[in-house]
Amino acid sequence: MSDLQTRRDLFSTVARGTVLAVLAGGAGFLVKKANGQVVWQVDASRCINSRLGEVGVAACNLCTTECVVALSAVRAVNEYSRCGRCNICPAYFNITSAVNELGQPSEKLCPRDAIRRRPIGKVDPEDPANNFYEYVIDEEKCDGCGKCVMQCKEPLGLGSITLRVRYDKCVNCNRCSISTACPQKALMQLPVHQATQPAEVQRPG
Amino acid sequence: MSWVAKTGSALARLALLVLALGGAWSVHAQAVPYQRPVETAPQQDTIGGGYRTPAVQHPLPRDYWLQVVDVVALGAAMGVSIWLVLKRRSRTWLVALAIASLAYFGFYREGCICPIGSLQNVVVAIADPRYSIPIVVTATFVLPLAVALFFGRAFCGGVCALGAIQELVVLRPIQVPRRLDRALGLLKYAYLGLAILLAIRPALAREFLICRFDPFVGFFRRTGSPHMLLIGGAFLVAGMFVGRPYCRYLCPYGGLLAWCARLARRGVTITPDRELDCGLCAGACPYGAIEKMRAVGRNCLYCARCYSACPRDGELAHAKAGLVQVRGAGPQ
Repeated sequence: MSDLQTRRDLFSTVARGTVLAVLAGGAGFLVKKANGQVVWQVDASRCINSRLGEVGVAACNLCTTECVVALSAVRAVNEYSRCGRCNICPAYFNITSAVNELGQPSEKLCPRDAIRRRPIGKVDPEDPANNFYEYVIDEEKCDGCGKCVMQCKEPLGLGSITLRVRYDKCVNCNRCSISTACPQKALMQLPVHQATQPAEVQRPG
Repeated sequence: MSWVAKTGSALARLALLVLALGGAWSVHAQAVPYQRPVETAPQQDTIGGGYRTPAVQHPLPRDYWLQVVDVVALGAAMGVSIWLVLKRRSRTWLVALAIASLAYFGFYREGCICPIGSLQNVVVAIADPRYSIPIVVTATFVLPLAVALFFGRAFCGGVCALGAIQELVVLRPIQVPRRLDRALGLLKYAYLGLAILLAIRPALAREFLICRFDPFVGFFRRTGSPHMLLIGGAFLVAGMFVGRPYCRYLCPYGGLLAWCARLARRGVTITPDRELDCGLCAGACPYGAIEKMRAVGRNCLYCARCYSACPRDGELAHAKAGLVQVRGAGPQ
């Protein structure tokens, strides 16, 4: 009995050593080829909402519907240094709606009213078209539906608003469910330092 | 919006201009020409008046040192689990640890990253020369297995968030017949094989099965597809009567842990020759991990119920062999 016990102990010690060696070897192999963190990001020059040349088509809202995070980890982000600060912002106003007595379209575009508009400096009432306005997106309200992004590009806008993955929201799934659904293959995995740069939109062709 | 498409870039801009001016017209008798063509973005200097361009939020992903903290927390929680179960033999404190782990790894970290899912990343990183994973992911995968080699499935008891949520709902567990239990237990190896097969496919066809069909992650994130939330709910309801069904019958990582736990030198042990031989522990184990009055390391989920069911637990805690005697039957 004690002989059997000893033999068993010996076997389990050898087996344990073997498994440990395999684990250590595997870990060593993986550590050797380890990378930095990769994260998902929207390629603005592929996304149909921000891609130039896509005009008059309905905005794609797959980022809203497919993301596993509440609302969505993809939100519209306004790159202020590129914003025209227009009086009539096509991303803020629904420019096809009737014009009201202030000379502005009467409806807003954002279905969740997530864009704030405020005049910069003194408003010159004699020259309403030439005042500057700041447009700030409330990231807590935005669900990344892309409607404003579709409007904020040529011919009417400057392309300052793009859809971006917000890393305070994104849980970095192995296979991003938006990437699976996106017909443009606009979601890609990038090293962190590249993915947190402002979006670049390239003209097609 | 189709008119925009038809008129093209220049005309559309003109149209907007007319729209803006038309609006201005209705208020002011004098038309104001639009002097600022929207071609370049005005900068701070153009705008003047001390205007500062607001900073754009580009939030960074979770800091690397915080990811290291997660791994350290994983290791520490397993250490506490071992100490509470093997030394303190305390079911109460183990439940407290399970709640803490559920709060941190489950609801705060939203179930990511976990050793169970990391299994796929490790497999892909080994199989695909172009795929690699951060060191923290490797550590998350290896740590619980290494611990299981020595102490058994300490990760399963009070550390794993998926285990903890099921541990807390166990209400009136039935004893699953031994043969059925074993047969169902084989499912997890089939699931493991399937998950590996789908993970090592070429990059575009690759599927992360374990994450996609994680029944509880929807609760952790407070959102999810209706069918997965339903499946999760069904697992929790079933878990009231069959102890931890996901862990015992489906968890692929549990399969790996079971192999490692077979070789564990220390772990939860029932020693009938030293104890009362009353079998209360076997009745108390909802996971079928006590067979013939012996704890089966590969099935033991470190829940410490056997200790709390033991009538001599108070004496056995911290007891050394030889001190254990039946009360009143021998010299005190």
